[in-house]
Amino acid sequence: MKILESAPYRYDKGIKILTLGKIDKAYDRLIENIKKDDKVLDIGCGTGMLSFRAVLKEAIVTGIDINPEMLEIAKKRIDEFEVKDKIEFLEMGVAEIDRFENDSFDIIMSGLCFSELSEDEITFTLNQVRRILSKDGKFLLADEIKSRSIIKRIMNWLLRIPLVIITYILTQTTSRALKNIEKRISESGLIIQSRKSNFLDNFVEMIIIKEDKK
Amino acid sequence: MRISYYIYYGLVTIVETLMRMFPFPAKTGYQRVGKPDENSPVLLTCNFHLTILRLKKATKGLSYHLLVANSKGINVWCAATGDSLNNHSVISVIKTSGIEDKVNHKKIILPQLAAPGVESKVILKSVGWKILWGPVDAKDIPEFFESNFEKTDDMKQVEFRIIQRIEMAIMWIFLAAMVIMPIWGPLYKLEAAFLLGQICLIYFLALISFPIFEKIFQKEVEKKKAFFSLGNLVVFLINLIYAAIGVVLYVIIYQKDYSRILLRWCIVSFLLVLLVNMELKGSSPTYKSDSHADKLYDIEIDLEKCKGTGICVDVCPRNCYVLDTEKKKITMPRKKYCVQCGACIVQCPFDALYFMNRKGDIIKPETVRKFKLNLMGKRN
Repeated sequence: MKILESAPYRYDKGIKILTLGKIDKAYDRLIENIKKDDKVLDIGCGTGMLSFRAVLKEAIVTGIDINPEMLEIAKKRIDEFEVKDKIEFLEMGVAEIDRFENDSFDIIMSGLCFSELSEDEITFTLNQVRRILSKDGKFLLADEIKSRSIIKRIMNWLLRIPLVIITYILTQTTSRALKNIEKRISESGLIIQSRKSNFLDNFVEMIIIKEDKK
Repeated sequence: MRISYYIYYGLVTIVETLMRMFPFPAKTGYQRVGKPDENSPVLLTCNFHLTILRLKKATKGLSYHLLVANSKGINVWCAATGDSLNNHSVISVIKTSGIEDKVNHKKIILPQLAAPGVESKVILKSVGWKILWGPVDAKDIPEFFESNFEKTDDMKQVEFRIIQRIEMAIMWIFLAAMVIMPIWGPLYKLEAAFLLGQICLIYFLALISFPIFEKIFQKEVEKKKAFFSLGNLVVFLINLIYAAIGVVLYVIIYQKDYSRILLRWCIVSFLLVLLVNMELKGSSPTYKSDSHADKLYDIEIDLEKCKGTGICVDVCPRNCYVLDTEKKKITMPRKKYCVQCGACIVQCPFDALYFMNRKGDIIKPETVRKFKLNLMGKRN
């Protein structure tokens, strides 16, 4: 959601209104997977909507984002929550996550970030995620997607048009939705454990694992 | 094949020139141009659709690897100064495009105008690729290749050439017409056609006369005050004369009871001229808009820190710097041509350059690197 990113201080409120609260519920559900003392990586953390949820579950969190303004706000919040030792924010793009060591995170999560990436970047990130995720680790993904049903796609398109126009006029950018993400996840050797989407099939939350235990 | 290419090129140019204000994102990633091998040079550009198209047209016959970095569909200079084309986008495209397997060197040519946004030091450190700053215009690339990647002063300088001024005029005309016509058209049907003519006349004349205005602005540049300066007033009056020509032409061609029509026309023409003048400086690449706070800052040199590497000479789009080779220090003889793009500050490896305004407020290099000229970043 570029319109909100250009004004980071409004980001959280704005995104909640635009997603009609579903983002909060989705994040809350995903965060259930985090246990105490888990090492967590938040890809595209923004102002830390997911990161701070994880910290409140007593995980140790690293949040990365390329937007210095959003990170500034996230860093201010560290003091508010008084969780200094448990969380750090780095200005880093997805192409730079190859500096993390193998199997170094128990949980990797990403909310509304993959839809901003190019196809090459998605492939690269998924491969890296598989490498840096620990053996029993989970990759939690929440993002906007393009529905596979044409009718739902048209419905989405009609609903999105006013939003897209306003976004474009104000920020001169558009946000995209992920296409065929499921296929790309399995191509990179990861396994989708569970997938939950809303009625319009435009927003998906997934729990992805490294290998099937069975 | 050839004809269809020219039709496509023409159509895209027309549409994207009319809509110049808006980004046109192209696909990012790797592209082959010509028949490159593992020794061929690697070029990087933004993902503004028209830029890529023009780059390829200007470099026909050359062979190189092209990386299209994500600049959110914005042209190189705007994206670099607005933090849309930055270190992250360059690192990302180098790492994710698979270019490292395709060539046996680690040198990448970036457009010089990307220098306000991409730090060569950071790219070298994080991915090991050395940045070479290419020419400003794509049309100079063949010569740049032939001269073994040496730039002349002309290749480094941003100018506001006649063709660019016409492009800019077309863009503004389209926008002004889009705003004014829906209001005017239904009210005064036939007049609307004349009004469109008036919009075109004012914008074309204003931008074609830019060299004259430039001389006026140049005299003013030392003062750098606000919008209401003598120079701006003179330019405004000249544009009013252009508008008056339009009104007279209208009266001659479209003879009618003109007491009321004339008043209406004078008002709308006046408003048009106001509109033109508001962003006249801002729509040129050689002056900063009067509404820009950045224009109040000057570049200052910390001579103690300067080691005379001359990187600022290489990236300055206005050729402001000259290297004193004896003292190994930089000098700024053409300071008044500076457009405060910040490229030199971002690139200086010794932090020897910074912004300072008349009051003595300083913007440090690390702040410029972080927020570029992005005013939304509320840099303080």
